[in-house]
Amino acid sequence: MTPAHVHPAPFGAGVVGPVVAVAVLLVAAAYLLAAARLRHRGDRWPWPRDVSFTAGSAAVLWAVVGSLPGEPFTAHSAQHLTVAMAAPLLLVLARPLTLALRALPPCRARRALLAVLHARPAQWLMFPPLAALLDVGGLWALYRTPLFAAADEPVVHALVQAHTLAAGLLFTFAVCQLDPVRRRWGTALRGATLLAAGAAHAVLAKSLYATPPPGTAFTTADLRTGAQLMYYGGDLVEVGLALTLAVRWYVAGNRLAAGRGLALPRRGVVQTAKE
Amino acid sequence: MSRPAGPARPARPGKPRDLGEPLRPQPQTRRSLLVCALIGAAAMAAVDEIVFHQILSWHHFYDRSTTEVSLLSDGLLHTAELLGLVAGFFLYADLRRRRALSTAHAWAGFFFGLGIFQLFDGIVDHKLLRLHQIRYGVDVTPYDLAWNAAGAVLLATGSALAVRAYRRTRGRPRRTP
Repeated sequence: MTPAHVHPAPFGAGVVGPVVAVAVLLVAAAYLLAAARLRHRGDRWPWPRDVSFTAGSAAVLWAVVGSLPGEPFTAHSAQHLTVAMAAPLLLVLARPLTLALRALPPCRARRALLAVLHARPAQWLMFPPLAALLDVGGLWALYRTPLFAAADEPVVHALVQAHTLAAGLLFTFAVCQLDPVRRRWGTALRGATLLAAGAAHAVLAKSLYATPPPGTAFTTADLRTGAQLMYYGGDLVEVGLALTLAVRWYVAGNRLAAGRGLALPRRGVVQTAKE
Repeated sequence: MSRPAGPARPARPGKPRDLGEPLRPQPQTRRSLLVCALIGAAAMAAVDEIVFHQILSWHHFYDRSTTEVSLLSDGLLHTAELLGLVAGFFLYADLRRRRALSTAHAWAGFFFGLGIFQLFDGIVDHKLLRLHQIRYGVDVTPYDLAWNAAGAVLLATGSALAVRAYRRTRGRPRRTP
């Protein structure tokens, strides 16, 4: 296997790269326009969300059309981390669905969006353990079957990339549950899902350290660097997800107390009801 | 129900309802202990990872003799350590904002957690699962002894602190659930 065969760099070579780049730019522009529209009519839309969405889009763009540093497998790991884990977190933190529902006037597009969201298959997909299975299961299938070697074909490669991004988005969306969805799941279930998915990711990274994906020939040093990058980079994103969950839980406790007319005790002052 | 002495409650004659709940909740002793044990165990796991894996490079990232079960347990523990640190910190912050933290129990729990993880790592990870050894290329017995003795000392400290904390609170009225 020639090095060029192993490493189809840049990843979005051919027709796929520019198409993805244009799509990402359009989505990012739509987000920023919608946010601006909301602010223009006097609604509050915190600017860190704009920053987060822009950063997430830039990350996808960079991973798809840019060339990543390092040897083939390390570069692949970096791309995987960016497309499947970091970018989805940044995009989901920007609450794109909330923005769409607030910015769209009551038109056919908005009704269609709601219909898709409320459809039964969508509800199933947003069940956190299923989303995790699709995400991490897809990853195991990629690295532990001949699929990885087959992903040299541009079409297969593009499909694999699209699946990683979509599955990463779905998983992050289901675990963080920041946007309004009809069926809400408790913090415990989402936390347990995160634990299981994180463990599966860590195990896969460690096993890649020892055994390469079937049908590939990476150098040992490259394989080890890539596997460690996957392991510790995965940790960073998991901590980000855990913080998102924890902050939501903590703030919900505040709201719960306020809703019962009980302010939380502050500086030794005993309060009975909301002022 | 008796309430611990606190600032006098301002009279609010015109208020429509009295919420009747304890406004300064009594310390939740068991929760304080458990939450801090979680923080302690996760902190010890993090120290192990940072000091022995990263700084000293004594432990190996992956030992060739690692079996699949060990790999699974390692992945679970590693992720649990990260999530445990985050969850523990926020649960602790929640106890503090509700003024339900019992400091004595919290310390006891913290040392308990440190010791339990150290012993678990020394006995189950290193010896039973043989995930990795403390150090390679040397006689590992003194290292193992020191590792597990340190764990036992931490655990004993936690137990002593817990006994003291529970003795201290024994005289107080129990908190109704």
